[in-house]
Amino acid sequence: MSDIQLELNQISKRFGGNQAVDHVSFSVTQPELIGMIGPNGAGKTTLTNLMSGMLKPSGGTIYLNGRRIDGHAPYEVTRAGLGRTFQVTRALNRMTVMENMLVPGLAHNPSARRDNLQERARDILSLLTIEHLTNEYSRALSGGQRKLLELGRLLMLDPLVIILDEPFAGVHPRLQETIYKYIDRVYQDGKAIILISHNMGAVFELSHRLIVLNFGALIADGDPQTVKNDPAVIDAYLGHDEDE
Amino acid sequence: MALFKRIESAIDGSIGRRRLGYALLGLVILFFLWFPNDTSQSNYVKTVFISGFFYAILSSSWALLAGIAGQFSFGHMAFMGIGAYVAGLFARDGITFAALGIALTPESISSVGAIVIGTIVAGAVGLVIGWLLLRLRSAYLALFTIAFSELFRIAMLTEYDYTGGSNGLSLRPLLQVADVDTARQIEYYLMFALLIVCLLLMYRVAHSPIGMFLRAMREDEDAASALGVNVVRYKILIFVFTSMIVGLAGAIFYSDIGSERIIPEQLEVLQMSLIIAYAVIGGMESLLGAAAGAFISRYLLEAMREVVITLPLGLTLPDGSDAFVWETGAWRFALFGLVMVFTLRYMRNGLLYPILDWFSGRDLIMQETVSIRKSDDDVAADMEDSG
Repeated sequence: MSDIQLELNQISKRFGGNQAVDHVSFSVTQPELIGMIGPNGAGKTTLTNLMSGMLKPSGGTIYLNGRRIDGHAPYEVTRAGLGRTFQVTRALNRMTVMENMLVPGLAHNPSARRDNLQERARDILSLLTIEHLTNEYSRALSGGQRKLLELGRLLMLDPLVIILDEPFAGVHPRLQETIYKYIDRVYQDGKAIILISHNMGAVFELSHRLIVLNFGALIADGDPQTVKNDPAVIDAYLGHDEDE
Repeated sequence: MALFKRIESAIDGSIGRRRLGYALLGLVILFFLWFPNDTSQSNYVKTVFISGFFYAILSSSWALLAGIAGQFSFGHMAFMGIGAYVAGLFARDGITFAALGIALTPESISSVGAIVIGTIVAGAVGLVIGWLLLRLRSAYLALFTIAFSELFRIAMLTEYDYTGGSNGLSLRPLLQVADVDTARQIEYYLMFALLIVCLLLMYRVAHSPIGMFLRAMREDEDAASALGVNVVRYKILIFVFTSMIVGLAGAIFYSDIGSERIIPEQLEVLQMSLIIAYAVIGGMESLLGAAAGAFISRYLLEAMREVVITLPLGLTLPDGSDAFVWETGAWRFALFGLVMVFTLRYMRNGLLYPILDWFSGRDLIMQETVSIRKSDDDVAADMEDSG
């Protein structure tokens, strides 16, 4: 069990009368590529916010690399090794692409030499095919390029676990290929990835394990093929074929 | 335009824009160092310059707080006032900490000591306000700081037994120089040195990793936090830092350097609006732009108090003169308002931004980026053609 990086135990979140996340438990090992799916309002983003420290859980515990992180500030969770992207891309608009990369680099390692961080940033931007935009303000980037930048910033943190919230939404197919390669590369580097997406093709192609949420509760957790045929998942999200 | 392009190319090919910018900045500093030695200049003009330096500190520190860190505060003048009032009250009344058995009499507190205490108290209040503002953003932050500022002003106005009310509070003079001309010269250099030191300190912060974190917070606090930036720490830190800067400036300026007394009128929202206007006109994301905007605006507002208008086409007035003096009164502020409207509508980064941007050479870097991008597009087009 020493390779468990992230562990959620009975995590709940209630907003007034709405139970957004309902006693969810699962663990993530390293390396692992997990897809998280569920209908709109299932609690995926709320669960992401709970894991990343943006929200405090109403109940339950979260451990990252053996350290309890629930209720900690987002920057502490990030520094502990959990990185995330946002469903709606949040580039730092009036900062250049390089500055966007340096912020997590310096926050993660304040004593690092800026030259070294810039070199590392260029390598990552090159991997993401946006090195030529290094000196551009990020507000000038297209939606897809901003997604890539957000993914690049994560690597500057060198996290143990990465949560990608809708990385393919509104992205041109050519850039989607780059994101596929990115996910594969990060997985090969030994990191754990939780991929949240409505792009079922991408989720089933990339994920080795699937977690399904519905009304805030975890209704399935297993290998993609088994989950795909789970009647509860079909009822809640995937639906029946018309000719059945 | 062609001539400008040729000059631009010549500069880029020789000294370089950045170096030229530093050289010009050096010349400006030399001018300010020489200026008090110009015997043709009256003490009044030197006083205007001293006031310009003071407002340059206020505007540039506000630019750091609001333009760079994104904390749109209206409490800046209140922190300046805290520095001045606390320095004045300590120097006049002293203080006793009965529980600690410490009694500081007015005689035991020097002018410099009082200024230091005023600065520290301004920073301490900045710490509390910064903490209270942690969860407030944009309009709520502005409204909170307006309320705080007004609260402080009314307290200073009402507690006239201690603060002198609307008559204001005289601070102990920092300098004891009998000769007026010499005193004015020293005051000039002191305020100019303070401006340079404050600008250097703020520049250091703005161009350090902390400055980068502050800009990240300005853009998106949640995203900055998710990238590992301790938003709480830097938000409080920038409030404390800028509060201490303006607290120090206020305590020194009103210690008979620029003015002999601090009055509650100086803490009105209108005065705060002027600080913001100077920064906006100069460029609120640039410390140098905001400082220059404040200095130039202050100078022009003074220079425009009386405007001599010469009649054209040989026209004369009934008394035979061909010119008259227009006492502009409040109209100069109206004109200033027009400049602000123009700036906000057409040059949101400030009137000085194009000049500062040109000297930074950023457009050269951008051109380079665009040319690389064109090459990439060409490569992509080639790939598609061959595919």
